Amino acid sequence: MAPSDSSPSKQLRPGLWQVVNDRYPGSMITKEDLVPLAALKKPLSECRVAFLSTSGVQPKGSLRFDTAHPVGDFTFRRVPSESPVEDLEIHQLKYPTFGAERDLNVIFPIERLRELRDEGVIGALNKSFYTFIGYNMDPERVERTLARDVAEALVEDQVDIALAAPA
Amino acid sequence: MGIPSVSPSVARDVTEHAKPPRAVFLPFMMGHHFGVPFHKQLQRRVLMEMLAELESATESGSIRDLDLSWAQARREGKEIEARLASAGG
Repeated sequence: MAPSDSSPSKQLRPGLWQVVNDRYPGSMITKEDLVPLAALKKPLSECRVAFLSTSGVQPKGSLRFDTAHPVGDFTFRRVPSESPVEDLEIHQLKYPTFGAERDLNVIFPIERLRELRDEGVIGALNKSFYTFIGYNMDPERVERTLARDVAEALVEDQVDIALAAPA
Repeated sequence: MGIPSVSPSVARDVTEHAKPPRAVFLPFMMGHHFGVPFHKQLQRRVLMEMLAELESATESGSIRDLDLSWAQARREGKEIEARLASAGG
């Protein structure tokens, strides 16, 4: 289906892609090809799950994401999946954080994922979740550096599933 | 080949352009892809819908619309917070 503002979307901020791309041409990701669908190789209850997030959530004390750079920050942070939420903080400017400031799970559902693991819905959580910021104005550089680096980390970790959440 | 992945989206048009292999769409506010504070059931539901999509999607680029409303999520969230405040007080 071709991208279109006439889709039956009820999104709260319609036309977001067009608005941003008109203002900053080339800054928004647009792909022509579909990624081949990778199949689940085992039941969810046996899968090791990694959570990826553009939320800018990071462990307190880790190098803060550079939210002031005009082009963005193309690095990632590892967030231990057993982190207490009190040990985490957000460094990201481009989305409303008023909900996350009161309950981080609205954008980084680390406690819900641990519950699903404890109940056996999923097999395990990867030792690290991976976070970065969504404000990166060079999609090609994202693909060449950040996306590749995170993908290599996931392969090295031997994860079975990646839950990839924008913010 | 590859690692199966799935994404939540609150911006359907952005997702249509980026073409992740699997996505679920929620008409929620940016920064609130899993709902509202302290609404554990809703946060869990979004995750469960994502996991279900991993099992059920048959075509890359699919976006499944979830039957959720932001107004209802906020209303339920306020009720939960009122109960929490009452229990705490």
